Amino acid sequence: MREAWPAVAFFALAALGPVLVRDPFLLDSLVLILLWGSTAAAWNVAGGYAGQVSLGHAAFFGLGAYSAALLGTKWDLSPWIGLLVGAVLATALGILIGFLSNRLRGPYFALATIAFSQVLLIVASRWRGFTSGSEGIPVPFRPGFWTLGITDKRVWVVIVLVLAICVYLVELYLERSRRGFQLAAVREDEDAALSLGVPALWLKVAAIAASAALTAVAGALWAQYVGFVDPLYVFSVDLSVRFALAAILGGIGTALGPFLGAALILMLETYLRARFGGIGAGLVGIYLIIYGTALVVMMRFAPQGLLPWVGERFRRRPAAGSTS
Amino acid sequence: MHAIPQLLASTLLLGGIYALIAVGLTLIFGVMRVVNFAHGEFLMLGMYLAFWAFTLLGLDPYVTLVLGLPVIFAGGWLSYRLVMRPVIHASHNVQVFTTVGLSIALQNLALVLWTADSQFVRTSYYAVVVHLGSAVLNLAQLIAFSVAVLCTAALFAFLRWSYTGKVMRATAQDRAAASLMGIDTGRVFALTWAVGVSCVGVAGVLLAPIYPVYPTVGLQFVLIAYVAVVLGGLGDMAGALIASLIVAAVEVIGSYVIGTAWKEVLYLLLFIGILVVRPAGLFGQRGAEAIGA
Repeated sequence: MREAWPAVAFFALAALGPVLVRDPFLLDSLVLILLWGSTAAAWNVAGGYAGQVSLGHAAFFGLGAYSAALLGTKWDLSPWIGLLVGAVLATALGILIGFLSNRLRGPYFALATIAFSQVLLIVASRWRGFTSGSEGIPVPFRPGFWTLGITDKRVWVVIVLVLAICVYLVELYLERSRRGFQLAAVREDEDAALSLGVPALWLKVAAIAASAALTAVAGALWAQYVGFVDPLYVFSVDLSVRFALAAILGGIGTALGPFLGAALILMLETYLRARFGGIGAGLVGIYLIIYGTALVVMMRFAPQGLLPWVGERFRRRPAAGSTS
Repeated sequence: MHAIPQLLASTLLLGGIYALIAVGLTLIFGVMRVVNFAHGEFLMLGMYLAFWAFTLLGLDPYVTLVLGLPVIFAGGWLSYRLVMRPVIHASHNVQVFTTVGLSIALQNLALVLWTADSQFVRTSYYAVVVHLGSAVLNLAQLIAFSVAVLCTAALFAFLRWSYTGKVMRATAQDRAAASLMGIDTGRVFALTWAVGVSCVGVAGVLLAPIYPVYPTVGLQFVLIAYVAVVLGGLGDMAGALIASLIVAAVEVIGSYVIGTAWKEVLYLLLFIGILVVRPAGLFGQRGAEAIGA
């Protein structure tokens, strides 16, 4: 468990947040870091461990957000039920995408996932009778834990921390278990893995489905936390890219990397918003220019991500028996 | 039945523009094996070029087309040198996210510089229509179509008969063998990228008098181009041309039959269907998608 100490430290620090911090702004940042970190880590389950690089994960996030919001407003059901329904729907969609695009690699798979998320975007923004169209859905605030009407941000930190740890454990499972090794084999060379009797299709579909379900849970919680669901945001390609970007920045295929990536992105976002926020709405774009440029530069100099990059720098000193 | 000539004409006009966007995308893929996720942003920049030349200098978009072509080509070349050259031999994922990063940066650069407002190029012939039999055609659309067809034909001729074109095709077929024959593949990639970007930039200038321009305008067109390019077989130039017409037909007839609100769903479903049933496209090499080529 020696390599796990940074993760233990990270989650312990996050857990200390609600105890030590009273400042609502810092608590809000913590919630968002854990939430976006969870989405990035969930993306990583498919994109990193299974090598199925998706640019359409917003589809699952949006499904979760819409399930929670619609079940709440239309049938007065608890968002927890909505969360569950969203996760089930996302799993179904994940299985569908997994089966349909099994043969697709690299850019083809990315294009297919974009198409799926765009279909959902159009359905959500045009089916006015059911989803109230492109106006979006305000999520009603009903106080109580069962209805997730919580104003105390410390409770929110705990809720998203539980999600974050769950996603992290799924990643850890993929790193340590037999199934995880098999999945890595499929990712590196599917034909070789198949010839050794590894159930490649089954493993890939399962990874995408798990990734989808976790993303949907994050979406449902996000809808309750923010209180508004906008189809043009929750199903957007931009959001899909955000999930992927955090994972890539932190370190694709590493368990903790996506959380660090999400934290870095949020810090950059907050800093630039504070720095340039007063100048005008157009300046929101500055942070995205930096984010896009950072992605290009990362791909050039450290495509493996920051966490492995830093790891390599540390491991320059001789470490006996080090396998990586 | 009276609508058929109009539908046919609209399909042809729309298909011509889509073809010019798709041809650049498929050329870059065919030669470099890179799916350019920033393709739509070059379209957007082409539209803004036309808009600013019109607003600041009073230049007609068709004058901008001629004067701006070297600028667009140079911009394409520069973006290759700065962004694409370092990752040209990297893995697909690295290339995908490099172009995604480029796309985000360019989109938001436009947002910061020129705001999110929709801008229009209001030419004097804005509302002029041409009657052709029983079909009514917008003049700007007709010109855009004609120039697009001309450009596409020129590109085909260039690839077919010129020495440089042959070199590009040789590189597309087998880059290792091309290298061994003494072809400077690095230069070929740079040229391919610049030519591909020029195609979509020209398409942008041509679209400026027809559609409003805003920083994210590229997405809706580039999605169509992806559909056309995959349908035609990634990297297949003639396939992209025919597929552009098919996609345009789906869009035009779909809008006519079920209304404009849902037309995008139609071609996206067509796209998913193609990816599932025959990812190599109508004319592409079978199995290309599975080796990730």
